[in-house]
Amino acid sequence: MQWWCAARGSAWTWSWQAYPGVWLLVLAIALAYWRFFGFGRRLPARHADTNADGAAGSRGVPPRGWPGWFVTGLLCLWIALDWPVGALGAGYLASVHMLQFVLIALVAPPLILLGVPAGRPALRAGPWNLLELATHPLIALVLFNLVIIFTHLPSVVDSLMASQLGSFLIDMVWLAGGVVFWWPIILDRPARPGFGFPMKIGYLILATIVNTGTFLYLTFSELPVYSTYELAPPVYGISARDDQTLAGLLMKVGTAAVLWTAIGVLFYLWYREESEEPSSTSHA
Amino acid sequence: MIGAVRAIARSLSMATATLVTLVACDAGSEAARATEGGIPPSSTDAAAGYRGVVLEPGPRPDFTLSDVDGKAFGFREETESQLALLFFGYTNCPDICPVHMAGIASVLRDLPWEVRDRIRVVFVSTDPGRDTPERMREWLSGFDPRFIGLRGDLEAVNRIQAKLALPPAIRGAVPPDGEDGGGYEVGHAAQVLVFGAGDRRLAYPFGTRQADWRHDLPLLVSEFQASYAPPDTARASNARSGLD
Repeated sequence: MQWWCAARGSAWTWSWQAYPGVWLLVLAIALAYWRFFGFGRRLPARHADTNADGAAGSRGVPPRGWPGWFVTGLLCLWIALDWPVGALGAGYLASVHMLQFVLIALVAPPLILLGVPAGRPALRAGPWNLLELATHPLIALVLFNLVIIFTHLPSVVDSLMASQLGSFLIDMVWLAGGVVFWWPIILDRPARPGFGFPMKIGYLILATIVNTGTFLYLTFSELPVYSTYELAPPVYGISARDDQTLAGLLMKVGTAAVLWTAIGVLFYLWYREESEEPSSTSHA
Repeated sequence: MIGAVRAIARSLSMATATLVTLVACDAGSEAARATEGGIPPSSTDAAAGYRGVVLEPGPRPDFTLSDVDGKAFGFREETESQLALLFFGYTNCPDICPVHMAGIASVLRDLPWEVRDRIRVVFVSTDPGRDTPERMREWLSGFDPRFIGLRGDLEAVNRIQAKLALPPAIRGAVPPDGEDGGGYEVGHAAQVLVFGAGDRRLAYPFGTRQADWRHDLPLLVSEFQASYAPPDTARASNARSGLD
């Protein structure tokens, strides 16, 4: 039995496989959330404007700190890591590997962070200093893009995906990179007054551009770049090159879909904040 | 904080050790690849610049089997004017055979037609029980309709493999019902043999990448064209020099 999905070299089968390492990770993250923030907060009956923590919510959209966000993010993470997506992505199809990347680094982290109540976590001295530094927008953007480049290098993928520990490392680097990247967008601790809506939007627009190199490399390479997927037992006759092209497109389209959705949400929140300011002033 | 730093350092050292081990394993498999197959690698041609394993020179094998149309196909005569790629496998193979065939087909599609036209790919079935002519035609056409499928009884196929110093194909046990649809696997040689100019022979073990084929095939065709004299041309040349 494998504890984490890794390339196996045997033919793909739809027989279910257990990956206890994935369950332990998901359980550990859920327990950490319960320990620090609890699952007891209910969705306010009318979450149109503000929630109990004072964070603004959009009309019809649950506010920051709602545990449902966290649960949805954790589910995305679980789907990406466990059988069948995790197993297919680890050793058979580069396109599914890229789907994993999108889910682990771009979809799950913002949802998990949206589940963190406003004003949390309470940053203290010690290891938090490192987190504060890593989540500085400039450093976070650089780190995240280094993660994208490094974890898609053929030598890295082919070396690490062959072992469970290596595959685990790649998944964890994606998750950590995603959390660091989304932190300054979603969390308000540490406070960064200068990093308002326009800066956040610029940050995300920049992020949509910088992965273009990796996308072009994968999509337009004349030959398969990853031996892991080129020499893997075929799944439904998908050729290695078609699979790689699909992976490149998924990276670009998947990343763009997530980032532009976030940009749209930020624009809306910015607009709402701007349009509400005069009325609140007049009331005061 | 110090504990956290130590934990990170421990993880990094573990990851480094894993990477070193993986690289060592990879190097080992390269060595294993080089010695795979029965024909010994050539020592004199080691620096020929090919990514395949250059074998001791030898003539093309002379055998005749049935193609997917039921016609006799003499390997030596039918392929003498072309670079020949010969592979022994079976269409129900879950891994090695489709990866080899897909890789070669993909590279052939990208080569200029004048190079592609000088290459013949011959697939010999090691599972004649299940590899009917129709099944072979359908399976090979999925990669490249020009691929040639040959079949004969397993004893005959194994005799051909023995002449090429390849291990015989061995039919595996049928797994219990419910697993793998009640099918069976066939153990077979994993390398593609290439017969080029003169007695040039190379082996491409499993693990050969499309980049390797893309590198070697044009070189091999070029070498073949430089040395190959069609029978008619050779006769004419001999006549001119008074030898015929």
